[in-house]
Amino acid sequence: MKESYVDLIKIRRQVFAQVAKMAYEGTDLSQLEKASFEILPGEVATYRDSIFRERAIVDERLRLTMGLNARKPTEYYRVTDGITEVDIDERRFIEPLINVITFACEACPTKAFYVTDNCRKCLAHPCTNVCPTNAVSIGKNRAIIDQEKCIKCGRCKNTCPYSAIVQYDRPCAAACGVNAIDSDYLGRAQINRDRCVSCGNCIIQCPYGAISDKSQIYQLIKALKNNNNMYAIIAPSFLGQFGPLASPEQIFEGIKQLGFEDVVEVSLGADITTLKEAKEFLEKVPTEIPYMGTSCCNSWTIMVEKLFPDQYEYISDSASPMVETAKYIKKKDPDAKITFIGPCISKKLEALREDVKDYVHFVITFEELMGMFVAKDIELSEIELSKEIQDASALGRGYAIAGGVADAVKKMAAEIDPSREIKVEGASTLHDCVKLMRMAKAGRKKGYLLEGMACDGGCIAGPGTLASLNRVRKAVVDFKNQSASNSPLENEIIDDELRSI
Amino acid sequence: MKVKVCVGSNCTLLGSMNILDQIDDLKDIIIQDSDNYKDEKLEVEAIKCLGFCKNTDEKVAPVVVIDGQAMYKATGQTVMEKIVNKIRK
Repeated sequence: MKESYVDLIKIRRQVFAQVAKMAYEGTDLSQLEKASFEILPGEVATYRDSIFRERAIVDERLRLTMGLNARKPTEYYRVTDGITEVDIDERRFIEPLINVITFACEACPTKAFYVTDNCRKCLAHPCTNVCPTNAVSIGKNRAIIDQEKCIKCGRCKNTCPYSAIVQYDRPCAAACGVNAIDSDYLGRAQINRDRCVSCGNCIIQCPYGAISDKSQIYQLIKALKNNNNMYAIIAPSFLGQFGPLASPEQIFEGIKQLGFEDVVEVSLGADITTLKEAKEFLEKVPTEIPYMGTSCCNSWTIMVEKLFPDQYEYISDSASPMVETAKYIKKKDPDAKITFIGPCISKKLEALREDVKDYVHFVITFEELMGMFVAKDIELSEIELSKEIQDASALGRGYAIAGGVADAVKKMAAEIDPSREIKVEGASTLHDCVKLMRMAKAGRKKGYLLEGMACDGGCIAGPGTLASLNRVRKAVVDFKNQSASNSPLENEIIDDELRSI
Repeated sequence: MKVKVCVGSNCTLLGSMNILDQIDDLKDIIIQDSDNYKDEKLEVEAIKCLGFCKNTDEKVAPVVVIDGQAMYKATGQTVMEKIVNKIRK
């Protein structure tokens, strides 16, 4: 969540903690009716026009956190309707993942140029002179833009000497790199499912907190209470997420105290992906395919599949680090139930894929995990230290930061075949990913390895993070430097066969 | 001046890292405009859970302690204001 949206963060995370607490304590789910009152007690509104609306929105958040759909305001439902369907100890996914809480949406106007009070109706009025559609005229008090005529080219804004013209857009739509935000009949945001790639950027940017994903924490906690073979795998961006005093070892131990058998770094899977992608690249590019796209960001691959279907075959066939890590555990314990913990909500969808669903059983975010720590009264910084973590090489640990994937694959390929020079290009917002793919489609990226990441800065900026980008980047680099191996080739956990070059 | 920011689990969940980041930013503001601030060192420390929220049913997190005085439900805004009021000339 955007760090400066302090109130929204509090509401969202209190809901996670509340649901986690109910799950751990085995509270009867009829009590869910009362939960919004406990989160927002009293009769005075703090955030919106009325406390009743505030609580109604929290009710929707509670439902989404339980894994249920938000209710339709036009139909009668209780908060708990449908609850038996999700009161289970395994994943139960009800589409869609990303939901607009309709009555939390304030129907912000769509993209437009506005003239502000700064306008002095100057004599030169270049705004009118540069407009290609004659949409700007000088009114009684200021310049006026005819919104019917305006084609949103922005020339008037750029030429105004008083900075009097501003561009305005709905934050959700501005954040969406694939143009998937439409409007419903009341002008509220509506997600176009054909285009949405579930990156979650609209969720973190909406200043009203009107968009939310669904969670699996309730079902996960039930599974943790009922099963023994529960394993957690944690994404390379976990460093620094749970407070400046919580060491990586304490985080791992804290996760075990939640009921997990063991914890493994997903950076291990990143090492495996690196080896596979490097070999795949050297083998296929440029003879079989003109370029290769990385496969670890799920929103990036969905974007290519949806918007550039004829290019989809050029995305690497190698499984993502999440899947490789899960496969590694499954090999050792065939009964393992595996939970991916990461910054990403798109992984919740990747885990449902036919070729993935038997390996990854739950996906939660760092934010949701923090809610579980609070529900279970776990103080990470007070945990006695256990052994040092050494699952992955420095290259694998670098996957969390934009550029890290391509860098690892490039270095690996150079080790395998020093005679080959690999060109690399990366994009780390969905907007830029789309631009990069347009270039690739036009044949301008022949021989390249393309790294696509939907979040600005890479996984460390994912929608499910708690700590700021700079904080996490620093912690990831520190942890990277503590790795005992520099390259996946030196990582002895990985099969010799895969490491042979 | 000594500012202690609780980074126990509940305070971290409800935004104490953001408060730390905001205080870091404030340090830059003070350095750039040092003529207007007293020559007093701003010591910031992230501390383990102080147990405030465990002893009460009230919602108190995040907790920040400035020169021994505890602030409940702290935000970057309230903490920075308090710091600035104390050290601005």
